[in-house]
Amino acid sequence: MFRFFSSFWNNFKEYIVFVLLVIFCLFIMSFSEKPGIKKARAMAFGTYAAVSSVVSNIVNTAGIKSENENLRRINAEQMLQISLLRQYGIENQELKGLLRLRDTIKYPIVQGTIVSKSISRSQGSFTINIGTNSEIEPGMPVINDQGLIGIVQSTSANYSIIRTLRSPDLRVTVKNERTRVDCIMKWNGIDLVMVNVPKTFDMKPGDRIVTSDLSSIIPVPLPVGLVEGISQVQTGMFNEIKVHPFADLSKTENIFVIKLIQSKEKNNLELNFYNIK
Amino acid sequence: MRSDYIYPILIFIPLAIIQTTVIPLISINGYVPDLILILLVLYTLKEGQMYGMILGFVLGFFFDLATGNVIGSTMLSKTVAGFVAGYFANENKLTFYLKSYPFILIVLLCAIIDPIIFSFFSAGSLNTNIFKLFFEQGLIPGFYTAFVSVLVILFYPKRSIG
Repeated sequence: MFRFFSSFWNNFKEYIVFVLLVIFCLFIMSFSEKPGIKKARAMAFGTYAAVSSVVSNIVNTAGIKSENENLRRINAEQMLQISLLRQYGIENQELKGLLRLRDTIKYPIVQGTIVSKSISRSQGSFTINIGTNSEIEPGMPVINDQGLIGIVQSTSANYSIIRTLRSPDLRVTVKNERTRVDCIMKWNGIDLVMVNVPKTFDMKPGDRIVTSDLSSIIPVPLPVGLVEGISQVQTGMFNEIKVHPFADLSKTENIFVIKLIQSKEKNNLELNFYNIK
Repeated sequence: MRSDYIYPILIFIPLAIIQTTVIPLISINGYVPDLILILLVLYTLKEGQMYGMILGFVLGFFFDLATGNVIGSTMLSKTVAGFVAGYFANENKLTFYLKSYPFILIVLLCAIIDPIIFSFFSAGSLNTNIFKLFFEQGLIPGFYTAFVSVLVILFYPKRSIG
């Protein structure tokens, strides 16, 4: 009997170990969202990010010149926009005064820098150099000057991991700015898509997509992208709408975290992956 | 842990930092070469299939921890890549592999399989076109990684092969 097992092991040990390792990987994947594992992960990426931020700073310094030129151009464009907005603001104040309304919406934002990126075509997460010491909490939306980047997934004292729009497990409620239709948007591994959109909904290529007020994670209208194409599903009642994001994740270096978390009461009512805390 | 696992793990640390800080700068439309995979294939060819699987498992675990990926996803894909690369491990052919194009082809094969497995288990949605998945997640990043692996042939110290 022993000889049988011994020869079996000698002949198939690679396959046996392979199967055991694969089973263990699948097992650990199913537990990756447990609080204990999240805590261990926060400690590990905090340590790793401290080291990689040094390298990242050196690498980023090399690109500062071209970035400065780009920023100057953006500044000039924004200056023109600001002067236009000031004009609108004055008109707005007059009109609000007439309606006796007051603008009370103000969101504090914190600037951060990406210290490492784990990107591929199928998924993407960033590590940024701000964490709980800057009052960053999981669930806060992350933007850049172009639009939504993602949300904070987990935090350590000085670093945070961002789940970007390219993370398959991030689902955001968005709406078409033109038609005010709400949908769920997610990364399907290849494209950013709005899923289960009824065929009767009015969607056209070029429509601007923003985050919806209904979202449990991002309840303020942040620009997300433009409708790129509509896949005409032959069967069923739903379409899948491809969205081209405004933010170029591969080139993003600086981000802003909006210090905003929806009320727990609302969160508990809505089904979202983020409710587990 | 066997002492011969220490060297690739030590090399892994700076390589992972380069992978997450420098490599995104040379991404082409979101496609990036996978340096960790090249390291894995190199050591698997030298040490064998069993070694490759375990090394892939360990490196994948560290990479998942460091980058915030779903723990287990890179572990699984790298374990499979180590297993596949292990089929080519042969002490007598090592010189041949590391001095010419077969190394690139082995890296290409593993670099096609690795991201497909990774996306299959981390992307969640399976209703995407299988050919598109193969092409976009496997073939293109695979070619990019294989292209970068040419550097290993060019700069790998010849005395450590022979």
